[in-house]
Amino acid sequence: MFLALREMKHAKMRYVLIGLIMVLISFLVLFVSGLAKGLASDNASSIQTMTADYVVLDKQSDQRLNRSELTNEQLKELLRLTHKKQMTEFGLQMTTIQKNGASKKTDSTLFAVDPKGFIAPPAAEGQSLKGADKNETVGDLSLKEEGFVIGDRLKEETTGTVLKLVGFTKNQSFSHSPVFHVSLKTWEAMHDGKQSVNAVALKADSEKAKQIEKQVSGVEMISKNDALKSIPGFKEEQGSLLMMIAFLFVIAAFVLSVFFYVITLQKVNQFGVLKAIGAQSGYLSRTVLYQVLFLTIVSLVVSILLTFTVSQLLPASMPFLLNVPLVAGCSVLFLTVSVIGSLISLYQVIKIDAIEAIGRAS
Amino acid sequence: MENKLMLQDVKKTFGDGDQQVEVLKGITLEVKTGEFVAVVGPSGSGKSTFLSVAGALLSPTSGRIMIGNQDISTLGTKELNQIRLKYIGFVFQSANLIPYLTVRDQLLLLPELEHQKHKEAEKIADSLLERLGLLHRKNHYPEQLSGGERQRTAIARAWMNDPEIILADEPTASLDSERGRSVVQMLADEVKLREKAAIMVTHDQRMLDLCDRVVYMEDGRLMSHPSVL
Ligand SMILES: Nc1ncnc2c1ncn2[C@@H]1O[C@H](COP(=O)(O)OP(=O)(O)OP(=O)(O)O)[C@@H](O)[C@H]1O
Ligand SMILES: [Mg+2]
Repeated sequence: MFLALREMKHAKMRYVLIGLIMVLISFLVLFVSGLAKGLASDNASSIQTMTADYVVLDKQSDQRLNRSELTNEQLKELLRLTHKKQMTEFGLQMTTIQKNGASKKTDSTLFAVDPKGFIAPPAAEGQSLKGADKNETVGDLSLKEEGFVIGDRLKEETTGTVLKLVGFTKNQSFSHSPVFHVSLKTWEAMHDGKQSVNAVALKADSEKAKQIEKQVSGVEMISKNDALKSIPGFKEEQGSLLMMIAFLFVIAAFVLSVFFYVITLQKVNQFGVLKAIGAQSGYLSRTVLYQVLFLTIVSLVVSILLTFTVSQLLPASMPFLLNVPLVAGCSVLFLTVSVIGSLISLYQVIKIDAIEAIGRAS
Repeated sequence: MENKLMLQDVKKTFGDGDQQVEVLKGITLEVKTGEFVAVVGPSGSGKSTFLSVAGALLSPTSGRIMIGNQDISTLGTKELNQIRLKYIGFVFQSANLIPYLTVRDQLLLLPELEHQKHKEAEKIADSLLERLGLLHRKNHYPEQLSGGERQRTAIARAWMNDPEIILADEPTASLDSERGRSVVQMLADEVKLREKAAIMVTHDQRMLDLCDRVVYMEDGRLMSHPSVL
C-alpha cells in the first residue's frame, strides 16, 4: 500500500486516464448487461416469472411452446403421476386485440391459465382472474400506457370473442408482446370447447421430471430455461448481447494487462533498486496488485453510479433492467478479469534482479 | 576491534562453458568497526562486482563472506534479501531514488519493508535528514532536488535501517568536487559516529584523504598498493 498509493498519487494523470478507460469499458459492460436483461424480460417475462421448474410439451413440438398441443389422455396421465398442486396446464396463442369501437389493433399473446393454479398472475391493479367468470381478462401493465383502461371491452381477432378487461398484471410479456390472461374456461368457450392446452407447468426435481417423461407417451420435458430459449428470437437476442459482453471483458483484461506491462517495463530499474535495498518480490507484486485492484474498484464504483444515473434518464419504453445480483456478478467478474490481466506484470516483477540497481545497469 | 565484514578468497565467475570470465580472482578483505575503506581501480577491473558480492546482491562462485558473525555465502535469494534489508546500506552511483516518493518517504520505505512502527521511524528519519541538512527538503520529490541533495538523500536512506556496513558505488560521480567532497565527508562522519563501517568505490583521487584505508583493484585482485605508480 505504501508504494502503491504514493505512486498513483504522483503519476495521477497516467492512472486517471487508464481509470477513465476502465470506467468506460465497465460502464459498457453494465449497460449492455442491463439491456440484455431488459430485453429478456421484455421478451418473455411471462415465462421468466413462472414459478415452475419444468414445462411439459408435446414431443412433436420441436420444443416450441406455441406449436405444442397436449391431449386429454396425456393430461390425465400427468395428473395421475404428480400431485394436482404441482402442475398446472396452460394454453397460449399469438393474436391481435382490438378495443371495441377503435380501429387500432394491438399485437398480443393470449395465455389461458387456471386462475387457482400457481402460474396465474396476481393483479397489480383492478381484479385478478376468477375461475367461473367467463370472458374476463387481465392484461400487462404496459397496455395501460397504450390507452387501455379497466372496463374496456376487447375483441380478440381469431375467434371474435369480446373480453372484458378487469385488471392489470405486472411483467407479463411473451415474444415482445403484452400478454392477456384468460381462464381456461373462457379459453374453451372461445374455441367452442375444441381447443386443447399447449403445455403443463410443473414443479418437480430432475429425477421426478425424467421419470414422468418416461412414463407418459409422446411428451417432452424441458426446463424453464430451455423453454425461454425456444421463444422465437430470444436465443438470438441474448446470444449476440452476451457475445458483446464477453468481448468487453476480454478487452478490459487486455487493456489492463498491456498498461501494467508497459508500466512495469518502465520501472525495471526502480524495482531493481527496491529489491537491492531489501524489498521482497512478494511485497512488490502485492504493490502492483493493489494498484490493479484499486483502479478496478474505483472504476467500477464510478461506472455503477454512471449506469444507474443513465438508466434513470432512459425512456420508459426502452427495455433496461439492472438489479443488484447482476451488478454484483459483473463486478466480481470484472475484478477477476483484471487480476488475470495483471499476471504478466506480476511475473515480470518477480523476474527482475536486484543486481540491475548497481554498477553497469545504472 | 571487531570485523564488520570479512571476505575470504572470494571468486566470482560469469557465464558458462567457453564464455567463462573470472571477474573476481580470489579477494580477501577485512573491514573493521569504524573503518572507511576506499576501493580504486581501472574501469572493468571488477569493483562493482566486488561490491555486489560483498553486499549480498550476487552470490560468490567460491569463498566465504561474513557480515558481522553471519556467513552469507550459502544463503538463498530470500534470506539475502533480509540480510540486505537489515545489515547493509547501499549508495548507488546515480542516487537511484524512487521517483514518486518524497525525501522523507524514501527513508520511511525501509521500516515499511521491515514492518516496523511508523512513529519511531519518523523520528529517526527526521533526525537523519536534519544531520544531512535535508530537513527543509523533506517533502520534495527527487526531480526537485539538486544532484548533491539526491546523493545525500541516498546516504540518509542507506543509514535508515541502521545497517552494519554501507557500500557506496561511485557516490560522487555525478557531483562537482566540492559537493562530492561534502557528501563523502558526511559518509565518513556517520561511520565514525555510529561505529559502523563503509566501503566506497571511487575514481576520484581527491576523496581518498577522507578514508582510513585505500585498496587497489586490478584485474580482479585487491592490493594494498597500486602496482604501477
Ligand atoms: N553479469 C555479467 N556477465 C558477464 N560479465 C560481467 C557481468 N557483470 C560484470 N561483468 C564483467 O566483469 C568485469 C568487471 O565489471 P565491473 O562492473 O565489476 O567493473 P568496474 O570495476 O565496476 O568498472 P567501472 O569502473 O567501469 O564501473 C567487466 O569486464 C564486465 O564485463
Ligand atoms: Mg562499476
